[in-house]
Amino acid sequence: MLVSALIIFAVFLLIFGLVVFFDVRKAKKHNQKYHFGRAVTAFLLLLPATLFAFFFVLLPILYSLGYGFTDYYLTKPNATEFVGFDNFKAAFEEIAEGGDLAKAIKNTAIFVVVVVPLQIGLALLLALFCNNKNRGTVIFKVCFFAPVTVSLAVTAYLWKEILTGSETGLMNQFLALFGIPAQDFLRNDDTAMLWIVVASAWQGCGFQMLIFLSALTGIRKELYEAARMDGCNAFQRFLRVTLPGLKPTLVYIVITVFIGACRIMVQPYLMINVYADRNITISYYMYEQVFTSYRVGYSSAVAFLMTIFIGTITLIQRKFLGEKKR
Amino acid sequence: MREKRVRELIQNEDVKIVKKPSKSIYGKIIYYIAGICISLIFIFPILYMLAASTKTMEEIARDAGSIMMFIPNFSNFGHILDNYKEIFNEDYNVGRYALNSLIYALITIVLNVLINGLAAYAISKLRFPGKRFFNFIIMFLIIVPVESSIIPLYTICKQLLGLSGKLSVLAIIMPASISIFNIFLFVQFFSSIPKEFEEAARMDGANTLKIFFKVILPLSKPIIATVAVFCFIGVWNDYLWPKMVLGTNEDMLPIQTALTTIQTADDVTTGKIMASLVVTTIPIFAVYVAAQKYIVKGFGTGGLKL
Amino acid sequence: MKKGLLLLALTTLTLVSCGGGNSTEQEKDASGNTIVKIMFHVNKTTAEGKAYQKRIEAFNNAYKEEKIKAVPRFEARTSDNKFEQTLINMKVEGTLPDIITFDAPNCASYAYAEILSDISGQISQDERNDFLSLNEYNGKVYGLPIQESSAGFYYNKNLFARAGVDVSGYTVDNPWTFDQFKAVCQQLKNSGITPVDMRITATGDETATYLLYSFIHAAGGDFVSKDGFTATGHFNSAETKSGFSYLASLISSGYTSYAIGPTDFFNGTVGMYLSSGWTIDEFRDYTTNFPDRNSWGLLPYPQGTAKASATGSWSYGVTDNGVADKSATYKLLKWMSSAESTTVVTNATGMIPSRKSCNPTYEVGSAEWVLLEQLSKTGKERPATVCYPKFSQCFGRIIDSLSKSNLSEIIDGQTNELQKLLNERK
Repeated sequence: MLVSALIIFAVFLLIFGLVVFFDVRKAKKHNQKYHFGRAVTAFLLLLPATLFAFFFVLLPILYSLGYGFTDYYLTKPNATEFVGFDNFKAAFEEIAEGGDLAKAIKNTAIFVVVVVPLQIGLALLLALFCNNKNRGTVIFKVCFFAPVTVSLAVTAYLWKEILTGSETGLMNQFLALFGIPAQDFLRNDDTAMLWIVVASAWQGCGFQMLIFLSALTGIRKELYEAARMDGCNAFQRFLRVTLPGLKPTLVYIVITVFIGACRIMVQPYLMINVYADRNITISYYMYEQVFTSYRVGYSSAVAFLMTIFIGTITLIQRKFLGEKKR
Repeated sequence: MREKRVRELIQNEDVKIVKKPSKSIYGKIIYYIAGICISLIFIFPILYMLAASTKTMEEIARDAGSIMMFIPNFSNFGHILDNYKEIFNEDYNVGRYALNSLIYALITIVLNVLINGLAAYAISKLRFPGKRFFNFIIMFLIIVPVESSIIPLYTICKQLLGLSGKLSVLAIIMPASISIFNIFLFVQFFSSIPKEFEEAARMDGANTLKIFFKVILPLSKPIIATVAVFCFIGVWNDYLWPKMVLGTNEDMLPIQTALTTIQTADDVTTGKIMASLVVTTIPIFAVYVAAQKYIVKGFGTGGLKL
Repeated sequence: MKKGLLLLALTTLTLVSCGGGNSTEQEKDASGNTIVKIMFHVNKTTAEGKAYQKRIEAFNNAYKEEKIKAVPRFEARTSDNKFEQTLINMKVEGTLPDIITFDAPNCASYAYAEILSDISGQISQDERNDFLSLNEYNGKVYGLPIQESSAGFYYNKNLFARAGVDVSGYTVDNPWTFDQFKAVCQQLKNSGITPVDMRITATGDETATYLLYSFIHAAGGDFVSKDGFTATGHFNSAETKSGFSYLASLISSGYTSYAIGPTDFFNGTVGMYLSSGWTIDEFRDYTTNFPDRNSWGLLPYPQGTAKASATGSWSYGVTDNGVADKSATYKLLKWMSSAESTTVVTNATGMIPSRKSCNPTYEVGSAEWVLLEQLSKTGKERPATVCYPKFSQCFGRIIDSLSKSNLSEIIDGQTNELQKLLNERK
């Protein structure tokens, strides 16, 4: 491992050296000069970030690809051997035969597809609701925002308690008011993931609301007035003025919420305290592969596939949402 | 045409606001009723948590099913803080874990601002050969989602860097201290700071670092607040990573990870768990209240364009 | 300022470079004592923890001359498998203590993962015979049990009297059948009592597996082949499936459910509670419903076509942590696994000693006596496989799915999952 890290570091330095070399030569051609002392200062300023980024960002990505081609067993790193595409093949077979990975992908997909629009839509509605000068709106704002201050682990515990299957559970008592019999919300295969969505959206949307609010205050009031003068009704004003004004913020929020949703693990892991069909997500699956079966190699292969997938979708989102801006 | 009108509107802004037709009283009533309803939906779990944290097992069972379950145990006022007293004693040690989390978060925030800020400063304000290289790396790493490389990160920390035993703390702090996205935010913000500020300072004989600390950072409060809040949330909320890297060091656990330990303690009650959840929530609430003004500004500066 | 920055960069570099490097020497303290580290799975403040501590202190006194010092460490085992994860983490870090306690069925898995090391050479034939069981893998010994355990059905005598149920005839030698068990449940249910807490929600850790696997054996089922590498045809055999369906029928008949709370039995609303020997102690905390020993009783496992009951507890193992000279470690192992230490520990825990020479005497008919009888007559170990953690997870998932209509398919699916991993390890 040390050797491979050193090699990667050497390659990293080499590329950097080449770029510096060409830059200096180019500057000479144009009769410009780099201030030597200032360049050294710049390198020194960049050094800590570069080292940290190398070890904790770049190297993990490269290793995640590298491990994918080995049979790395967690407790026996020295016995690691190259196995070619075996891990990737195993992953695709697992998907093909509907194994745990297929279920994990399904659950993650359900979560992402429901939570992204729900959370963002809710956040936008709440932001519009609060975006006025009515007295007392601040109190509403604080209420909508309060769940954000409840951390994921606490959210998971709280909602587990609310949704507990026994008749004394909060949600069951609420339903009992309408004569609906007690249900075990988190044990039901069809609804478990949706309740996890509810808990996540509840906890998360206040944060996006805040971002939307700050973007809304950034939209110039004159534009609204102008639109009003042009005879636009409230909805048209929203479409013509608010949405375009929110676009950059919206792109940012869609991408971050999407990526965050793809890596969902803590809520299903803590809300349902068993590794089961209804709560496996891709991240949870990878985690269990490492800590129950010790398969680092295989898990890394899955991680790499997931990285490629998320990266692609993010690029598409950016392209799609970015183009509309014009 | 329209632009002209807009210019007129800007001039007459104050007049316009006064002239704005006031909403009907019914509209307002509907607005407030809706607001209260939505607010209740959002805070009922928190009310429940607060209320249950003041009660004993029997009282929670007694109040189940009535509105009393959302109201703290005022009837037994002398004992309202009993659960809190319990969870801070030696068996539960919530105070210790909360302190751990706070320390991790504070160190990470400082490192994060320094490391990423310095790098961003070099990239946005200094001329040096090889800048293209850094720009490319940043763009590349922003596109690649790093989230799925937690397992290699684990083996790197444990087997390559040897962050084991007491050093495991570094495995919590160091990876959280670097954020390509924060560098990106800083670069964007620094670029918007006019050159004149720096030049004036340089005239006075300040060196690069001094300019960074004395000129740039004071001007960057909104972005620092934004980064600090992101960072605080990240560290304070993290559950899985500390569980992975700190497994062997019980007394170094942050509060989120320790919650599962607290929940499985021998004589734990729902009330005590709820009390520890409340304790877990208070600091983050405080941070938001304190930094709220700046966060809004930080987002408002357009730094979020990807 | 520049100097400060340089310093920062340098410290980062040194931090980065000082990693790795496993010492292969046994650690010594300032006064030249050889340090032997030992890690226990219980809290220091529990009766069991205190017993261990007492024996460690005695060891340190006895070996003062030889300059060996045992340093204990207590990592309470919680219900989220944290202890197991801690062990793996220590192995990855290279910080394993010299001796650990571990849950016996994990033996093969830990031996395979090189967490444990072979201690066959340290045990004489006489000693082998003295232990009720040894933790073996590939014909080698990897662990010495601290104590033995067995489980059964604790029952609330008040509730049984109210429902008019008489269970006095059911003993280890004359066990109740699966059907008789159901009949008792029905009687309880008729009197409006929730019949039994089968612990089917305890799937987050080993508990459910430990308490329920013997039902499958009792139904004539099996989990893996003798060599531990074939699950297909064992884990999903007709007998195994019938065992699981029996458990499922307890839910569908309304005898047990997933909604039973963890303390419902102790609060007097549930008739029976499936648990291990450690529960004998737990009654002390619930004096309202269980004021004394006469208020509750213990019934052995019901039996089907075969006889089986849960066994297995925690063991001492010497780790594979790269230390070359393990002589001091072996001395501590001998000391802790001696009959004397075993007696001290089991007196504190109320569990069954792992050595015959401890020769415990229990009052005939007492709960401890029932457990010991059951252990020696019907005890059957959990499957020995290098993928035990995965097995336990698969078992837990089936238990979690008992109320589903496609139970048979789920068992097949889990068998497949386990078999795939076993094939990789072969």
